[in-house]
Amino acid sequence: MASNYDKWVEIATKQMKGKSPDTLNWRSPEGITVKPLYTSDDLQGLNFIDKQPGMAPYTRGPMATMYAGRPWTIRQYAGFSTAKASNEFYRKNLAAGQKGLSVAFSLSTHRGYDSDNPRVAGDIGKAGVAIDSIEDMKILFDGIPLDQMSVSMTMNGAVIPILAMWIATAEEQGVKQEQLNGTIQNDILKEYLTRNTYIYPPEPSMRIVSDIMAYCSKNMPRYNTISISGYHIMEAGADSVLQCAFTLADGVEYVRTALKAGMDVDTFAPRLSFFFGVGMNFFMEIAMLRAARTLWYELMQQFNPKNPRSSMLRTHVQTSGWSLTEQDPYNNIIRTTIEAMAAVLGGTQSLHTNSFDEAVCLPTEFSARIARNTQIIIQEESQVCKVADPLGGSYYIERLTNDIVEGARKIINEVEELGGMAKAIASGMPKMRIEESAARRQARIDQGKDVIVGVNKYRLKDEKLDFEILEVPDSVRLEQIERINQTKKNRDSARCQAALEAITKAAAGDGNLLEVAIEAAKARATVGEISDAMEKVFGRYTATTQCVSGAYSSEYSEVNDESAQVIEALRKRTNDFAEKHGRRPRILVTKMGQDGHDRGIKVVASSYADLGFDVDISPMFQTPEEAAKMAIENDVHVVGASSLAAGHKTLVPELIEELKKQGASEILVVAGGVIPPNDYDFLYNAGCKGIYGPGTPITQSAANVLDLIEGK
Amino acid sequence: MQRDPAYYIQGVLDNNRLQLARTITLVESTLVTHQEIARDVINELLPHTGKAVRLGITGVPGAGKSTFIESFGSMLANKGHRVAVLAIDPSSTRSGGSILGDKTRMEQLAINPNAFIRPSPSGGSLGGVARKTRESMLVCEAAGFDVIIVETVGVGQSETTVASMVDFFLVLQISGAGDELQGIKKGVLEVADAIVVNKADGDNINRAKLAKKQYETALHLVKPTSPNWMPPVMTCSAVEKTGLEEVWETIINHKKIMTNTGELQQKRREQAMSWMWFLVNEGLEVWFYQHPEVKSRLPQLQKRVEDGSIAPTRAADELVSILGKDLLF
Repeated sequence: MASNYDKWVEIATKQMKGKSPDTLNWRSPEGITVKPLYTSDDLQGLNFIDKQPGMAPYTRGPMATMYAGRPWTIRQYAGFSTAKASNEFYRKNLAAGQKGLSVAFSLSTHRGYDSDNPRVAGDIGKAGVAIDSIEDMKILFDGIPLDQMSVSMTMNGAVIPILAMWIATAEEQGVKQEQLNGTIQNDILKEYLTRNTYIYPPEPSMRIVSDIMAYCSKNMPRYNTISISGYHIMEAGADSVLQCAFTLADGVEYVRTALKAGMDVDTFAPRLSFFFGVGMNFFMEIAMLRAARTLWYELMQQFNPKNPRSSMLRTHVQTSGWSLTEQDPYNNIIRTTIEAMAAVLGGTQSLHTNSFDEAVCLPTEFSARIARNTQIIIQEESQVCKVADPLGGSYYIERLTNDIVEGARKIINEVEELGGMAKAIASGMPKMRIEESAARRQARIDQGKDVIVGVNKYRLKDEKLDFEILEVPDSVRLEQIERINQTKKNRDSARCQAALEAITKAAAGDGNLLEVAIEAAKARATVGEISDAMEKVFGRYTATTQCVSGAYSSEYSEVNDESAQVIEALRKRTNDFAEKHGRRPRILVTKMGQDGHDRGIKVVASSYADLGFDVDISPMFQTPEEAAKMAIENDVHVVGASSLAAGHKTLVPELIEELKKQGASEILVVAGGVIPPNDYDFLYNAGCKGIYGPGTPITQSAANVLDLIEGK
Repeated sequence: MQRDPAYYIQGVLDNNRLQLARTITLVESTLVTHQEIARDVINELLPHTGKAVRLGITGVPGAGKSTFIESFGSMLANKGHRVAVLAIDPSSTRSGGSILGDKTRMEQLAINPNAFIRPSPSGGSLGGVARKTRESMLVCEAAGFDVIIVETVGVGQSETTVASMVDFFLVLQISGAGDELQGIKKGVLEVADAIVVNKADGDNINRAKLAKKQYETALHLVKPTSPNWMPPVMTCSAVEKTGLEEVWETIINHKKIMTNTGELQQKRREQAMSWMWFLVNEGLEVWFYQHPEVKSRLPQLQKRVEDGSIAPTRAADELVSILGKDLLF
């Protein structure tokens, strides 16, 4: 079939007054050259295009009829600060048409701390529900039949106590283990890459993963023991090729771990599920999901599975949180709709759509309803479900799918050369790649190369917040502590002690940790106690922080325009500052509390250094007191506290207080991240000098920080 | 902010963490007015210095320096030692800025009340690092820290500069793919008082042992740092905290031998002397580059050397003779 491409070039050239249409080529962040037109020529050599949905390599989808047979599952991730509030929310959503549950946990729970631990005073109930013991879990699922309801739990660090408590809760409801249905995220590798909600070092953590796979494949055949997550990799700033590559490489590592533990590939591989993030690069996102399925099939063949389901990638998708803006936030509804469409056209099995207010706070009932309805409307009003893989055969989509497969395959090979993902993570390679990608994206946004409506283009003059904001009252923490005390008082302490000792023994030997933890959960041991019982043997992991340099400004040097001048002007200011004051402006960027999202501070650190600041980075999970000590020892001019999980109202004022107490009130404090505008006054009154919400260009915050240091 | 010398001196002697930190900032400052105060401060503090173990640590990026210092320093701090860590981080040559991330890898030590960690940007000039770090070391000694660890990345000449200000210079290595000696510079071997092969843990133990053998052979080929000291090669695991006691014993033993033979005192005298000469050289450089006539003529002469209209020797001569004009002879 002739494509008539040459003829098109002729016409296009004429239309463009003699300029070649090649000048319209766009180089995507992934490094893929996207052309203005694709034709049948572009399908040459692609060997997956004649394979249909339900056929290997599953490019067109894992099921033969896809949504024509059954639409994707609407699964909204949500967790309010208490078990009771979350339970009410779940019940309401189930009544409103939601088919599965997805639980978000408190940061304190993720890290294996009980609510009465002083380290986590600022974290309880932030970002999700705090679970301390089975008593909380029972409240969470009160009146929800666990033999019928598929429950997805986002838990990676404290995965043993949480899963054990859930299983024990079901049993106390009278539900048998083999009836249980759902997914636990249990993807610890990506925690070391991006989100940092791990507890133990990588090796024992991988052993926990394989213990869970072993236990569930024997006792809970309908349960998905892992959800290999690219979402957080994308949110950390990875482009589509990086997300695809590192996620699949994680998957391969888990398969190897299970095989090493003596399991047969077909007993666990069909239960592996994936979790991808989908952003605003519409066709790229669709192609990424198709590429991931294609490549996963290819990667699995080395393990010789007999069951076809073992090489079939099934995935959950969440729309991007990073793409949401604090400015003009109703735009986020539109963004989420576009991203949801991409996920659907890419063939996801389940989907979470974000609420429009998530750049500002946790979702309210209202915003959660809009988010859920976004999916229902696509499913029930738009008629897109009638045909399986409707974009299959599109020259562009098929070619792009192949381009991503090739790009990702190259990176996976690099990972393999390093000895697999665990070793690659230890080498720091994936983290550096992701951070570099993040810094470049930030630079493109700051320059307006990547347009974000309402932020770097068409920005509103007067912005006013006209929707309600969900706040987590401090009483949540006190209620949790009260329940811990009750539980500890009423339990059989000898039984509990024996169960905890059994966990320590299993950790040191080779007993199955989940199995012994279920008994501990029934004996009313707390999340903190079970975690500690393992920590005695495993130790607690501390991250090493690396930071790229030069990536931010290198995006700028590509263009020689106004934005490049902004960078130069700031560099001149930092140089002048150094000449005047005898040293460069010095900033400590810190992340206090248990929130492990460190993309923000990494991007800030890397970019500020590029602008001529001396930038200190604090370890993760600092208390305000520790952050103050570091600010003082390093004698910085200013501390920048990053908050993405609602801890700012306690942690930032405490830091200011602590600096004052130690005689260093000269050190300024600024804050950045997800901070609702309604809290600005509160923070200013507490002594915070600058607040930089999402979407603030780095160059703008840096200029403001310089103004503050210079007393302007 | 300008404060008088007494503020700094008293603060350091009182071991006030805030004032100690500010004194180091003062010492590091490039402003002439600050440097004048710093000179007074250092002079006053000098009688209170000299009692600490001065330890330099270097290693290629990835050798696990920070992790080693985290474990090693924590061990010493928990024994009751007061440990100061001065870490030198390279600054970007393009922006002048830097990323100081050492403490993220020294999480426990950073919050230990017996420890003080101060990362410093190299600021582009490694010579500058030497002066600042040496003076910062004295400041920490005066504040009562009895173990001072100076950490530097293995780039440029920074290792030899650091070696010239400490009593004991430790080179941290890891075992790699078997070609260990590739990664080590001869100049570094010559100033090493010990080589420690880190990451001797897990499936890496045998490789670490092999690397130890290779370094031992290599060390036999260079002249030892002292006739009374043959630099040992040891293995350790900073992560599993093994071999660290042995490292400390070696350092103490070295100090004992060097003190008994009088070499330590001699070494410190020589270091003071070379420090003076270093400062003289640096002063000359500053004098030269800050000279208004040099500043005004330099660009044009540079251009002429580039286009070949003047010989480099001639241009250098003209530039240097500018300084001569200031001399009255």
